[in-house]
Formats: sequence, structure tokens, C-alpha cells
Amino acid sequence: MRIIGVPLTIVLGVTFAGGLAAQDVQARLDRRLSPEVQRAVQGIAADAAAHGLPVDPLVQKAIEGAAKGVPGDRVIAAVRALAGRLGQAMAAVRDAGVAAPAGDVVEGGADALNAGFSGHQVSDLVRVSRPPYDPALTLRVAATLSALGVPTTQALQLVEGMISAGRSPSDLLGLPGQVQTGVARGATPAQAAAGLARAAGGAPPGRLPDWVPPGQRKPRNQHKP
Amino acid sequence: MTTGYHPLVKRLLDGELSLAELPPELRAEGEEALRLVGAADRAPVALSPALEERVMAAVRHAASSHTASLGNRAWRWLNTPRDVELRLRVRPWTVWAGALAAAAALALLLGRPAPQPVPGTQARGGMRDSVLVRFVLYAPGAHRVAVAGTFNQWDRGAAPLVPAGKSGVWTTTLALPVGQHQYAFVVDGARWVVDPGAPAVDDGFGRRNSVVAVTARGAQL
Repeated sequence: MRIIGVPLTIVLGVTFAGGLAAQDVQARLDRRLSPEVQRAVQGIAADAAAHGLPVDPLVQKAIEGAAKGVPGDRVIAAVRALAGRLGQAMAAVRDAGVAAPAGDVVEGGADALNAGFSGHQVSDLVRVSRPPYDPALTLRVAATLSALGVPTTQALQLVEGMISAGRSPSDLLGLPGQVQTGVARGATPAQAAAGLARAAGGAPPGRLPDWVPPGQRKPRNQHKP
Repeated sequence: MTTGYHPLVKRLLDGELSLAELPPELRAEGEEALRLVGAADRAPVALSPALEERVMAAVRHAASSHTASLGNRAWRWLNTPRDVELRLRVRPWTVWAGALAAAAALALLLGRPAPQPVPGTQARGGMRDSVLVRFVLYAPGAHRVAVAGTFNQWDRGAAPLVPAGKSGVWTTTLALPVGQHQYAFVVDGARWVVDPGAPAVDDGFGRRNSVVAVTARGAQL
């Protein structure tokens, strides 16, 4: 009796905690999705939680699908695909030496995988994202750069270059906007990213990539008439 | 009538002393006092019929209210303090395991993501780590435009845009937490439109979501 008592108590406790999480998921999905889709999403979420994956992105994706009027089977497929990416991202982040990654880091890794990055690239980016750089942020910035059309290798080099140059996290967040500005001026995404990478090499920490040292002329914008 | 008695005689009348315990010189007074009080005790007392009726009416009322008010009785039963002895016989590991399970449940509850703020109901500029972000869409001919995203649980009604005159430009300003958010505009309650001025990513449903990165310095599109 004593031998089975401890595991039984722990199992009951975990089951109770898991039951609360399941209730939370159900409450958030209630009246948004049909009962069948709710059950399927709850099952995927429970499986994800059992593997230590964040559940919130899955619930958010289901809610998004419901809000957009997406058919139930496509909602389930999208949630399942996201759960798979979260699992791959978790493995990639752990490969980078983070034993117990936070949920938003795993979510950022899933975003990067969705944008075309490989698991190795996700691991590399997490590895260089030491404080004050939040790996969740660097992964999302890289994913957004890729979504803008910057090749993944180049996006990775740009973000890593910004980190090694000591740029602030806010500067990193501003990269997609600067690439867009370059594209609006006529450059390709790759050209815009290359220009930012070159500029990032010379500017001191905390300065924007287009900063020019005092006494030097600012390079002429080739896209400007 | 008894004010003139000796204090020891008064104690005799109160039953605290016997006649034999009185000093000899007070015994005659004591005997006289006992005789007078005994006569008074034996005198018949006649109560008025009205008084008897009032007393009996009060007794009947108390009895009837006692039987009629079951709720009061139940309340009195519940409210009456009682001594209860609870004896538990436990092993220390069961206490620790139970405490761990309760702690796990509590951590799970506290670790739940807080509901995303609904921008329309927040005091602008009053949210910590939030930045005011202006959303603009040119949608001539639209009757309604809203913005929905990860910051408002994709609620199509939470953040409506306001038309700027008759130019076809719709705007709204929301307080968003610092971080990266995905969103889309909803035109006339049904048509989902990406923000032409922001990066867009695959939404997993065959469409695109716009992305806004909110930093402490402002929004970066």
C-alpha cells in the first residue's frame, strides 16, 4: 500500500492540475467552435501539454480559425501542424542547451520553422541569443525577415551580426521595418538586408544601423532620386 | 418591614444562619421575624384573570412560533457551537505529496496566461509596458472596419476603426503590450484584409496575417 501510495498521490495531483488546464482550454474554445472541433483541439492541446509544449498558441490558432470562419477540419489541421512545429522547435531549442525553454521561446522557434528556417538554424540563433537578447524575440524577428522575402541564411546572418555588434533589442525589432523601407525604395529584400548588415558592422551599440560616425558623410541613398 | 432587623436576623431570614446560631439576645427577635415572614409566605396570592390570560397567550405564541419556524430551528442547530474532536492519523509522506500536488495545481492556475487586454476597454496610456499603436486602412466604400489579432483574441468586434471623414481612411489607436503581434483588418464583418503597410506571414489557413513589433520606443512595422 505504501509503495503505490506516493505515485498514486502524485498522479492524482498531476491529473487534477491537468484537469484544470483542460477546463481552461475548454472554456476558451466554448461557443467559438463546434463540439467536435473543440474535442479535437482539446486532445491536441492535452497531448502537447503532456510533452511540455505551450498550449496557448494552439488555443489562439483555433480561436483565430474560428474567427476567420475557417472550416473545422482546416482548423484542426492547422492546430495539429502548429503542435508539430512546437515539438520540433522544442527539440531545436533544447539542442542549443536550454533544458527547460519558456513557452514563448518555443513559440518563436515554431514561427521561425514556419518561415522556412531549419532546426539547426533555430538552434544556432538560440545559442547566440544571450541576455539581453531574448531568444523569443530574435527568433520572431528572423521569422518576420524571412516572411518579407529575405533568404533565411541572410536573415540569420543579419540578426546574428546585430547581436555581435551589440545592438539593442529594440534595434533588432526594427529590422523588418527597415527592410520594408528599403524594399519600398526599390531594393530587393536581400539587397535591403545586405545594406543593413553592412551598416550594422560599423555602428556602435545602441545606434541605428544607418548611423554614421561624426565627421563622415552619410552614404548617398542609391534608391533616392 | 425588615429594615429594622439586626443584620444577623436578616441572615437568618435569608437562610444563611439557623436560629441556634444567633446570639441569645437576638433569638427572640429572630423568632418574631420568622413568624412574620412565615405568615406572609402562606398568605394566598390572587392573580387577576387578565394577567393569567396574557401569560398564557404569550406561552401559546412562543410554542406556535417554535414549531412553525423550521428554518429558525435549522439555523439555530447549525449556528450552535459544538465541540468536535477530529483525529487524523497520517504518514508524513502523504502530507508532503498532497502539498506538492496542491502546489502544482496552484502553479498551473497562476501560470495561466492572463487574458489579453481588450484595447477598446483599456485606459489609454495607463497600461504598463504598453505602447499606443495607430492602425490605418484605406478602405473606400466600407461600412465597418475593425482590427483583430493575437492582442484581442481575434475578436472582430473588439477594436473598430473610425472613418476619417469621407476620404475612405479608417483609423484607430490601441494600447498594445511590448512584443510582436499578428493581426488583420476585418472589413464589413467578413472580409479579412492584411495591412498593406506591414510585413505579413502565413496564417496556417492559406491566408496571411500582418505583423507588428511593439517596442518601448513605439511600433515597428
